[in-house]
Amino acid sequence: MATTAPPDQAIATWTKADAKASRKRNAKLHRKEYVWAAAFMAAPVIGWVAFLLFPMAFSIYASFTNWNGIGKMKFIGVQNYVNLVSDPYFWKALWNTVFYMIGIPIGLALSLALALALSRSIRGRTFFRTVYYIPVISSLAAIAILWQWAYNGDFGLVNQFLAVFGIEGPNWLMDATWAKPALIIMAVWKGLGYSMLLYLAAVQAVPQSLYEAASLDGANAWQKFRKITLPMVRPVTFFLVVTNIIGGAMIFTEINIMTPTGGPQWSTASLVWYIWQKAFKNLQMGYATSMALVLGILVLIVTAIQFRMNRANNFSID
Amino acid sequence: MRRMKAAAIATTMAGALTLAACSGGSSGGSASEDPDTSGGDAPNELTFMFRGGEYDKIAYQQAIDNFEAETGASVTMIITDADQYATKLQAAIAGNKVPDVFYIEPGRMQGYVYAGVLADLTDYVAQDVLDDIWDFGVEAYRFDKETGETRTGPLYGLPKDVGPFGFGYNTVMFEAMGLEAPDKDVPLTFDEFVALAKELTADTDGDGELDQWGTGLNVQWNSQAFVWGAGADWISDDQKTITVDDATFADALQWFADLSIVEGVTPSVEQAQTLDTYQRWMAGEIGFFPVAPWDIATYNAVAADNPDKFGYDVIPYPVANAGDDTATWLGSLGIAVSENSANKELAAQLATYLSTDLEAQKILAENKVQIPNLKSYAFGDWIETDAPAAGWPANTEEFLQIADDYGRALPGTFTYEPGWYDEFWVGIEQVTDGQMTAADYVAQKQGSMQQLLDLAWTNADQAKAQG
Repeated sequence: MATTAPPDQAIATWTKADAKASRKRNAKLHRKEYVWAAAFMAAPVIGWVAFLLFPMAFSIYASFTNWNGIGKMKFIGVQNYVNLVSDPYFWKALWNTVFYMIGIPIGLALSLALALALSRSIRGRTFFRTVYYIPVISSLAAIAILWQWAYNGDFGLVNQFLAVFGIEGPNWLMDATWAKPALIIMAVWKGLGYSMLLYLAAVQAVPQSLYEAASLDGANAWQKFRKITLPMVRPVTFFLVVTNIIGGAMIFTEINIMTPTGGPQWSTASLVWYIWQKAFKNLQMGYATSMALVLGILVLIVTAIQFRMNRANNFSID
Repeated sequence: MRRMKAAAIATTMAGALTLAACSGGSSGGSASEDPDTSGGDAPNELTFMFRGGEYDKIAYQQAIDNFEAETGASVTMIITDADQYATKLQAAIAGNKVPDVFYIEPGRMQGYVYAGVLADLTDYVAQDVLDDIWDFGVEAYRFDKETGETRTGPLYGLPKDVGPFGFGYNTVMFEAMGLEAPDKDVPLTFDEFVALAKELTADTDGDGELDQWGTGLNVQWNSQAFVWGAGADWISDDQKTITVDDATFADALQWFADLSIVEGVTPSVEQAQTLDTYQRWMAGEIGFFPVAPWDIATYNAVAADNPDKFGYDVIPYPVANAGDDTATWLGSLGIAVSENSANKELAAQLATYLSTDLEAQKILAENKVQIPNLKSYAFGDWIETDAPAAGWPANTEEFLQIADDYGRALPGTFTYEPGWYDEFWVGIEQVTDGQMTAADYVAQKQGSMQQLLDLAWTNADQAKAQG
């Protein structure tokens, strides 16, 4: 009703006292809103401070100390970082970790191929999608044990399969040359379903009109894939590359289960595995923390470069 | 207004923090997925954190029932997965939530003592109790933090068990091959062992391929007995000098590698994984293989299922020359008490129960989890009647001799941390594969191992100074 009152009547009844009372009411109302807003904000802020900021600050400090993880810390400046530079096992583990990244483009190429295949109307499409996704939801520890058996040089499934084609397979996990590729194959297999699912969604979201226009222009299947599909799924590729690199840098469980001593000639030891060894087995938590921070910084740099490159290659179909 | 906002945010955060703190402390002392490991607060409440299988739990429940009945105490058991135990314990210590009583490995003890985590049990455990436990099991938990000497000084734990790593042979295979069984008291010499292993290595089904081998040993877990049996070692007695670059050591290691490379009495270099040879041994395809107490239940089941192929007994490990002393390793896990326990004396009493309660020891031995900790029982009723009745092998006494007489701790057990010992195994495949001689390998490893051993001592000194 108030909104329909004539303007002159409304002005006549609106006094200074009314304005003050209204401001007071509004302030009270806003105060309540502020309290609620703070309450909602508090949970993530506290979580961030307690579980990210504080541990990170603590880690940074710990990396400058001699600390065994159970006793008192002693500040030793950059000594841990100096030791790290001259530690051959750090570099070996870092190299192994980088080597594992070979699996990322292989996995992405395979999952894109699978996504393209399974986006067509073929018989048993749902079945295959489910089959490829099962490793994603399976326990990594259980999978690692199964693959350990599969890689057994004597009677493992992998070598039995290769024997069908007359190939004498290596003793995968006991051979310094083949241990890393063996772990990469397993990691690719494990991650295939997840990448495939994201690619599947991206492939199906590509407007059909683009393909139709390309067909009218006489483009063949390969040209359509290269000029339409690949650019259109680039955001998914970017997301997968970033998350796979971060995940790959943290590879640990499968190594610890399948090659608990770091593999033949230390060929499978990843940096996180080495950090864990130093922290919990060799009582060198301070040194382990310095390695963890270096790894974190390296991942940050690689991710920042990727974001920059992605921005440079960004495009729009508008 | 701004002040009001700030106050509101501060109040809300304080409230949320309080809630977070409450929820953090509400996990209680139950054996849930993420249990509260803190020691008990009340005068008669204790927490006991350990890892192990079903029989450990049953046996400890028995010991704890006896303990609770006698003392009126209340004990909360916290059991964790074996592979997560060390990490969880370290996290509990860092979070100042140390259980009253918990397992400790001898190899980790020094750091814990320097950090003031472990209670000195010397005054809490009676000498007659200690006298009835294996010397190794007691000495493994003695440490003099002033001098850095191990196996002497104050007592920081009692053994949960001692684990003799024995050697065995397939009795059925020896009988089938018409070979005389090895002597249970006199160790074979290396030459005799190789000769027997060659006789056992055979193509029994005539298909042109070997299907039976003399032995199949994992270098990382089995070579110690042979290196020691030749009179060599990884480290000096004072634990300060690496001794691998030594002709006796190199010869023993080369002899071990040559079992595959030269003598051909093992399945093959590629098949030298423990898993493979372990399964081949139980399939009746391998003549000599390690036998330890924790294997007995499995071996017995296999022997019952496949009596035509598999049966076993225990013998001493071979030695380099006749008259040399046989050797093997003896492991142990300890039970320690928190220095900050509100009930240290009661906790020490519980540790003693867990280590020496006769009923619990009987349960563990009957179920082939371990040999008894109590010498009087082990050499008395157990070896005479209980062990044979429970199905322990005929020469079980060898286990007792290892525990009582000649068993040694694995190298690395009595230094501050074992990084130097781990270093020895990085690349050992080059020797077992024949790519490098043992002499070259040990010469190459001597320096890096010594460097890591020196680092372990430096870290020990720093831990001692820092606390």
